[in-house]
Amino acid sequence: MILVVAEHRDGKLNRASLETIAAAQQAGSGAAPVKVAVLGTSVDAVARELAAAGVAEVVTIDDAALQDYTADGFVLALEALIGAEAPERVFLPHTYQTRDFAPALAARVNRPLVTDCVAVKAGGYVRPMFQGKLQADIAVDGPHMATFQIGAYRADAVTPGASPAPVRRAEIRVDPARIRQKPEPPFKEAKQAVDLSQAERIVSVGRGIKSQEHLQLAQQLAQAMGAEIAASRPICDAGWLPMDRQIGSSGQTVAPKLYVALGISGAIQHLVGMKGARTIVAINKDPEAPIFEIADYGIVGDLFEIVPAMIAELGK
Amino acid sequence: MKIAVCIKQVVTREWQLRVNDQKTWIRDQDASFELNEPDAYALEEALRLKEKHGGEVVVCCAGPARATQVIREALARGADRAIHVESDALAAADANAVADALAGAIRDESVDLVLTGLQSDDQGFGQVGVVLAEKLGMPHATIIMEVQKLDGAAGLRVKRELEGGWFQWVALPAPALLTIQSGINQLRYATLKGIMAAKKKEIRKVAPAVAPAAQRITAMYFPEKGKKTQMLSGTPADAAKQLVARLREEARAL
Amino acid sequence: MERETLEVDVLIVGGGPAGMSAALRLAQLQKEKGGEPLAIAVLEKAREAGAHTLSGALLDPSTLADLVPGYKDKGAPLGAPVQHDDVYLLTRTAKVRLPITPPFFRNHGNYVISLSRFVKWLAGLVEAEGIDIFTGFAATEVLFDDSGGETRVAGVRTGDRGVDRHGQRKSTFEPGVDIRAKVTIFCDGVRGNLTKSLVRQLGLDEGRSPQLYAIGIKELWELPAGRIQAGRVMHTMGYPLKNEEFGGGFIYSLPDNLLSLGIVTGLDYRDPMFDPHVAFQHLKRHPLVASLLEGATLVRYGAKALPEGGWYTIPKLYAAGALIAGDAAGFMNSERLKGIHLAMRSGMLAAETCFDAVRRGDTSERVLKAYDDMVQASAIRKELYRVRNVHQAFGYGSFVGALFTGLSLFTGGWWFRDPLPTHGGWTRIRKLADYYKDARPDPESTVNPVRIDRQLTFDRLTGVHYSGTRHPEDQPSHLIVHDASVCATRCREEYGNPCIRFCPANVYEMVDDGAGRKKLQINASNCVHCKTCDIMDPYQIIDWVPPEGGGGPHYEGM
Repeated sequence: MILVVAEHRDGKLNRASLETIAAAQQAGSGAAPVKVAVLGTSVDAVARELAAAGVAEVVTIDDAALQDYTADGFVLALEALIGAEAPERVFLPHTYQTRDFAPALAARVNRPLVTDCVAVKAGGYVRPMFQGKLQADIAVDGPHMATFQIGAYRADAVTPGASPAPVRRAEIRVDPARIRQKPEPPFKEAKQAVDLSQAERIVSVGRGIKSQEHLQLAQQLAQAMGAEIAASRPICDAGWLPMDRQIGSSGQTVAPKLYVALGISGAIQHLVGMKGARTIVAINKDPEAPIFEIADYGIVGDLFEIVPAMIAELGK
Repeated sequence: MKIAVCIKQVVTREWQLRVNDQKTWIRDQDASFELNEPDAYALEEALRLKEKHGGEVVVCCAGPARATQVIREALARGADRAIHVESDALAAADANAVADALAGAIRDESVDLVLTGLQSDDQGFGQVGVVLAEKLGMPHATIIMEVQKLDGAAGLRVKRELEGGWFQWVALPAPALLTIQSGINQLRYATLKGIMAAKKKEIRKVAPAVAPAAQRITAMYFPEKGKKTQMLSGTPADAAKQLVARLREEARAL
Repeated sequence: MERETLEVDVLIVGGGPAGMSAALRLAQLQKEKGGEPLAIAVLEKAREAGAHTLSGALLDPSTLADLVPGYKDKGAPLGAPVQHDDVYLLTRTAKVRLPITPPFFRNHGNYVISLSRFVKWLAGLVEAEGIDIFTGFAATEVLFDDSGGETRVAGVRTGDRGVDRHGQRKSTFEPGVDIRAKVTIFCDGVRGNLTKSLVRQLGLDEGRSPQLYAIGIKELWELPAGRIQAGRVMHTMGYPLKNEEFGGGFIYSLPDNLLSLGIVTGLDYRDPMFDPHVAFQHLKRHPLVASLLEGATLVRYGAKALPEGGWYTIPKLYAAGALIAGDAAGFMNSERLKGIHLAMRSGMLAAETCFDAVRRGDTSERVLKAYDDMVQASAIRKELYRVRNVHQAFGYGSFVGALFTGLSLFTGGWWFRDPLPTHGGWTRIRKLADYYKDARPDPESTVNPVRIDRQLTFDRLTGVHYSGTRHPEDQPSHLIVHDASVCATRCREEYGNPCIRFCPANVYEMVDDGAGRKKLQINASNCVHCKTCDIMDPYQIIDWVPPEGGGGPHYEGM
């Protein structure tokens, strides 16, 4: 049985949970049942949403001690659940939250954990290494846990259930006295430095953008796509964008779901910073630009005409 | 404050990655190595906390003999002494084995705080810190931007980074383990005096009991570019339309 | 913030073959002679020993045998013994192998090595002797001391660290260290910045011929297994260089299917549009080379200048408190294209002089002159004197140069005019109007362009990537152009901005300034520390100073 641990915040389901269910369904390929766990308080709505998937059961751990996320609380709750359910595999999405508790849980229940997987392979998993420059096949022994990279599986690839799966509340209590972390309410802050490595989509500009004024166009595209803006070195050197937006060997290395390179020639210093992106789009006037060698989709043309057209299409 | 900092030696960023003959790791014979950058930020944070609150910084490193290079660098920057858990098997081991080895070294040190980087630039599992906390029986918090020491025995108050520009302060009792976010501080240089003093600082060697690996790399390779580049032609409007359609339907990137 | 100071007996600036040999010899003398141990320090600007070291290279092991007896047992990384020597004359499509290899190109008994690995190995020996090698520290200034009546060299000051691109101190700021020494041995390499300023300040080049240089551009390739055996040595002349351009190609095979190849071109060319990097790409496309590189993988790229002037260009080697050794002094045999063994020998001799002087408590000019006496009596002079005019003869064209070289085998280098007069290589570059007359090319164009296919031929920026060059970005530019207003106006008109062509690392670019004109853009972090710009700019307004210590190329295996 594969146990998927779902994630939600303020009653809203994190779509990555559905991706993980899709991964579990594919990994189980019909033979292994999939169960989904939800932790927190007042999780009924989230549980019902999950029950629409073709899974054997949705189990909730509804406890006041779990109202606020804490590593200790989640580890205690899931330790008990894993003890009760004995899943062969435990799948979670690879998020800030699971990075915080999954390794501790794995150590607590004495199971190996493979993090940041992009695929399930016979006998194991595939995950990136060396910041996405290489990939590795990992074989695991015995009952284990795995976290999945956001976007590695598609939420809409979840096989729905013929009828809603049963939702059961587990008989698990978490002793608040055993929770050592005391969290305060989360707050939002304009981040000082951008961590582009966490962005799912990136629109990146190079010399082809010609001048600082034209950056606006790239920013509009980024907004339309829900993407972060980034740049190759010459743009940051010229001060048109801050250094923390630079992608490349002297900047950040990223591997987002989508990387759109506008007017970037593809010097190797830039490529090493973004080659690991899942889908690469290149728009450049020069058909010989090296960027086209690694792009999935390429358009040879004037970005000043193509980008506005893209923005219009995205609006539809 | 007695602070343990866990550091790792990794190949330098410029090292050209080529897969070894067994296809289980990169070729790193005669490679150049450096301190794992995320760990450098953890070390810097430890040195700052020592400067503020007094105490001692002990650097712990699990790795082969050549890892003394980064240990010396950490000592040159200001760490007081070091523990080298020496084993070739720990060069590219899984998180459980590494955490086990480090736990064995740190357990008897009665530290107040353990700091690690978020992840290593080579394997990037991002687990050792948290697994180590569990093995040491310490509470932990990850992706930490700021550390405050609370008065008396009250412990620490730390600022966690969450997704999408959100943050959260969390209090936890000491001793505790924190994984430090990269870029939160400026890394100091090792001074000439620091380098010379480092030679006299203690590096205690410890042989680990290396647990059998429960996970293995069976193959390492460069990601295949599955598809050939699809060049989209036509008028700008046409090409843009095709592109957006394919990104939506084919690549599912939007 | 207070500046750190360090006092030592002997300071060696530069951790290359000369510097390492000096350090090792000092340690040996210490052991031999006993007595109060000398405090010795080596300064090296690279992040680790050997990282900035690059050469073909063919090692004459004669000095090594003296410095490290039993070197094979001590693990000297000697690559492969030379098995086979060939010299080719190339045309664009054909090659002619010289039936007899000229004696100076014969390498029997020599080794094909990676100089970087060799220096790393020497560094290991030096450290094993307990001598500190401070890597990541760049010496930027010579310290003088006037107090004793005679001006003496008192040591060096290293560069400040933690300064941002606008010259402001960052929170991590560390001022440079003053290292004071009784004797400083300057081994800062070809066109070493400290030796350059020392020579200037003390007039050490008085009565000497101006130094002449060449640039060497090199790549390391991994070939398909079994294509060529290790120890093959090939030198080429002719294509792609014109008769008036000094230089040629080299191809050396190393163990593990590695091939070292490159081009050496004199930095005294006449054609202002000449581009050594383009010439190198043409060389690779020649069937002789292309056939070797079929299916091979580029591993590393690099470039460095070479001191070609020979005997008469060597400056006065000593001053109170200072000695100069290695390429910084110009100890290279430009006929044999070998300088490593001479650099090592000079380092050893400098060590011997220092040791005596420090023990005696007298490091005045009078006492340090012993170094020069030893050099004069040594194998160094014996070798270099004979070829003292060879490079200068090439100034009259390759044909004349070759003729002279051949003749000098019999005459021991004698000629009617001795020394053969020369001027600095940068003076020979002709103006665009002179050289091209009415067919004036666009400075942004490439005369005789070559196709960049990224399989065999590459652009400069890709080369920089393969050189492993890394510099912290937020620091001031270390290429000091004293009058950048010349660039877009006078230089562009007269010479077409040759810097954009002679720099092998795309440091210099002429970009649009947004107001319809061009301006010079310096991409300092691409710099591979070759020194070509400092040497070759026609107005001599470029000063190369070391960037923040630790930055630069990473010439692993080069």
